[in-house]
Amino acid sequence: MTSDAAKSQEISRILHEWKDDGQDASEKLMPLVYDELRRQAARYLRRERPGHTLQTTALIHETYLKLIGQQNVDWQNRAHFFGIAAQAMKRILIDYAKARHREKRGGAAENLALDEARFVISGEKSVDLIALDAALTRLSEFDARQASIVELKFFAGFSIEEIGETLHISAATVKREWNSARAWLHSEITK
Amino acid sequence: MDATRWQKIKSVFDAALDIDPAKRSAYVSAACVDDPGLLAEVNTLLNSFENAESFIEEPAASEFASLIIESKTLKTGQRFAHYEILRQIGAGGMGEVYLARDEKLDRMVAIKILNEEFSGQELNVQRFVREAKAASSLNHPNILVIHAINVGDDANYIVSEFVEGKTLREVIKTSNLKTSEVLDIAIQIAGALAAAHGASIVHRDIKPENVVVRPDGYVKVLDFGLAKLIQQNAVGLEDATAKQNQTANGLIMGTVNYMSPEQAKGERVDHRTDIFSLGVVIYELIAGQTPFQSSSMSETFANLINVEPQPLSRYASNVQDELQRIVSKTLRKKRDERYQTIKDLHTDLKTLRENLEFDERLERSQSPTDKSATVILPATADNVNVLTGETSGKTIRQAKRLRSISTVVFAGLLIAAVSAGYYLFSARKTGSEGKKSLAVLPFVNATEDPNAEYLSDGITESIINNLSQLASLRVMPRNSAFRFKKDQTDAKNIALQLGVETLVTGDIKQLGDKLIINARLIDAKDGSQIWGNQYVRPTTDILAAQSEIAQAVVQNLRLKLTTSETQLLNKRYTENVEAWQLYQRGRFHLYKLTPPETKIGISYFQQAIELDPNYALAYAGLAEAYRSLAIASELPPAENLAKSRAAGDRSIAIDESLSEGHSGLGMTMFWGEWDWAGSEAHHKRALELNPNNALAHLFYAHLLSNIGRHTEALPEVKLSRELDPLFPFAGALEGQFLLHAGRTDEALARLQKTFDLAPMFWMPHLFASSAYIEKGMYAEAITEARKATELAPSQTNSIVNESYAQSKLGNRDEAQALLDKLLKLAAERFVPPSHIAQAYNGLGETEKALDWLERAFEQRDPKMVFLKVDPKMNNLRSEPRFIDLMKRMKFDQ
Repeated sequence: MTSDAAKSQEISRILHEWKDDGQDASEKLMPLVYDELRRQAARYLRRERPGHTLQTTALIHETYLKLIGQQNVDWQNRAHFFGIAAQAMKRILIDYAKARHREKRGGAAENLALDEARFVISGEKSVDLIALDAALTRLSEFDARQASIVELKFFAGFSIEEIGETLHISAATVKREWNSARAWLHSEITK
Repeated sequence: MDATRWQKIKSVFDAALDIDPAKRSAYVSAACVDDPGLLAEVNTLLNSFENAESFIEEPAASEFASLIIESKTLKTGQRFAHYEILRQIGAGGMGEVYLARDEKLDRMVAIKILNEEFSGQELNVQRFVREAKAASSLNHPNILVIHAINVGDDANYIVSEFVEGKTLREVIKTSNLKTSEVLDIAIQIAGALAAAHGASIVHRDIKPENVVVRPDGYVKVLDFGLAKLIQQNAVGLEDATAKQNQTANGLIMGTVNYMSPEQAKGERVDHRTDIFSLGVVIYELIAGQTPFQSSSMSETFANLINVEPQPLSRYASNVQDELQRIVSKTLRKKRDERYQTIKDLHTDLKTLRENLEFDERLERSQSPTDKSATVILPATADNVNVLTGETSGKTIRQAKRLRSISTVVFAGLLIAAVSAGYYLFSARKTGSEGKKSLAVLPFVNATEDPNAEYLSDGITESIINNLSQLASLRVMPRNSAFRFKKDQTDAKNIALQLGVETLVTGDIKQLGDKLIINARLIDAKDGSQIWGNQYVRPTTDILAAQSEIAQAVVQNLRLKLTTSETQLLNKRYTENVEAWQLYQRGRFHLYKLTPPETKIGISYFQQAIELDPNYALAYAGLAEAYRSLAIASELPPAENLAKSRAAGDRSIAIDESLSEGHSGLGMTMFWGEWDWAGSEAHHKRALELNPNNALAHLFYAHLLSNIGRHTEALPEVKLSRELDPLFPFAGALEGQFLLHAGRTDEALARLQKTFDLAPMFWMPHLFASSAYIEKGMYAEAITEARKATELAPSQTNSIVNESYAQSKLGNRDEAQALLDKLLKLAAERFVPPSHIAQAYNGLGETEKALDWLERAFEQRDPKMVFLKVDPKMNNLRSEPRFIDLMKRMKFDQ
């Protein structure tokens, strides 16, 4: 058995166990997904060279295929997987941001690294990734589904419809939840 | 936060979002009536929702992707993404500039790459980003267009349009510019800066190196590297950078010779620093050196702060006093004493340029024999032949004479002599067959004051108006005739272009309370003067003078008029001279075709109406102005359409026989009320009243095209174009109507002709982009759409077309980005919802497209009149919601 196939079976097993202990499964799965996503991203971007736009959705689906393959996985487990992938994507972005800063500053103080993670989006508005991450954690405490919608949308790049399919809810519901979650996060971050 | 509490907040918030924004606050208050805490939380959330703009709407990774790439630099000859580097074309302090080919859109671009050394420094990257952001937020023909920017570990670069030309620095080195050329360049720089300042952006580094002059004289301002948003609200690093730039770094970054005193002193700078720097550039272009330059930098600083520049005349001969005054005013050390806005400087430069042009023509046209002429020669039989073919020369000679001679004394004598001259001449003239044709060329404003231009334009228009009422004469409409406002030197050629046999030319000068008007009738075949006369009248008699001129033209063309035609010829739309003047001022501004000018026009029309409440033409003008504001679509259209309707109604209530009134009203009912039958009735009446009314034919054709009666629309628009051949609007619309009739290739051919006619007119480019979309030539569609956007940044039609074409090319990100731009704009001003619908439709989001079309219907978006014929919506036609909309718009009848 190749190591890839072994990994795939391992993941599948973890996903099946999910119902029993979600927290545990998530913790086991995260590093696997994280590594694979990162590898896929690097490969993708090397191929494309600058000027690219990174298709996160494609990246995650590729990772999914790589890790789960053709095995039968029910929608709930798929949803779990994508939720984890979105979180992994978030970690990757934050880690890259911090790493880049350390390279430049030769390991300067951590609070400066946080500053570095503030990036310009759409050429207009800054989004503070670290603050967003913190606010998302707070949101997940009282509305886990909303937090995961935000992660899927913003970090995994899923469309409203894709999120609906993944979570088995209507697109209209996703849109509604997205609206209020986005508004809440925005108010938290600009507080 | 407690989960149950959050559910409660959400449910009120969700419900509130489904409600009309205007009623939202009342709803929320009612829903939270017994829970003030809840009220506050919902309101905070709603508030945040309103202000969130694009917050986290774009997936993170597409923005942050560059973070993930290992550090790499770009080299010459390299190929990356869809760019192929061709050669290096420049190098500056910050990096290199390459010429590259954009393989996707198959066009040349310039890529400016921030070099590694500099990329390592935060401030430089920030500055680099700022440059791109500043420049790309501006859309002006004299500002370099930014296509893309990349900031990341791999490379920082900006992709911009590639401009072939020399920097102004190179131009200075190699050639000696004439004053008029200096002014042409300065006017364009000032225009670019006006756009920047309008967007609260200061360039801060205006110098010859940052200006490129194309071989055709077109100027592009580059390098917004030091540019800074005046009202900067960015946070964090950006702010810190800005502050540092203002102080120590500012000195190093700017070029000392072109700095303003406040910049040199490290004080806070505002837009007036650009005015100063442009002054330095103009000074250098004339004098060959900058005003404060010295052998050492410290001395230059000292000069800049303490020493007044030498007058330009020290370095150059023939420097106009006005030019010296303008330059001195830009170079005032105290910014409060300078021009306060770039627009004022722009206006003064333009006026000077126009006067100079006038004088140049004057010089050119003076033949040696003429120079000795000290008396006014009336157009007698003897000198008619001498004047052959020198229309403009004569105009100018007369104007020049008027400057030096007290003409009033001669007036009476002149009129008699001219009349005698005519009769001798006309006796020899053979009558032409069929309908005679005539163009009244814009009268020259011979008054020193450029503000008197409305008078010269106004008298021309009034004469055209009166003469157009005659069935036996084909009179060139204003729009084509005014193409020759600047240059009337070649009468024969003008007549050929317009397809007329005779021309009326003239000039008008205001001297105190007197007007001196010269008018001439010219036979285009040989350029000979058929008739000429000078009128010296009190200003208050301008209306009478204008009637006299119209009558004289008719007499000298030997036209036989019916009684009713005679009445029409002599018809005065107002007896109040002041009201007429105000009306003409209104027209003058209206023809500038921008919303701000239109608003000025409105106020003049209103003043005219106050003086003469029965001034039907002024009401028609008012109706037109409100309608164009509504169609320009920067403001919600409903109010302006209603005002247009009211003014239009009033115009024909006062004067039912006013063709312009009916035609305008028909147009307002078309755009604003979707009352196809009502609109048609007014168009028909307008054409019955005046079959020569080219605009009425065009408007009627528009209605016919949009309701799908293509076989009637096309001959109608062709007729309008033939009547008004140089009016690019008619050609552009004919292209659109052909396209909507499914005759795409013919549409493109017509649009191509219109490009040639008016290279700076945006509409043909827009319609060409639509035509290319129909042909599936999406790259060409994008190019044309961008041209339209560049030429007319405030309209959103071409952004939609670009987004649509990008979608079809499979560039969903670009398409979405353009849609987002529209949505963002829609938060700031009115954007036709039907435009947003089309962008969604391009992206394949049918439901959203239909949602937005419904919104367009509710908001009475004027652009909904294209629902039936726009081929971009063909994929929606079988949707039940679309069918329902067609019904509601009465398109199914």
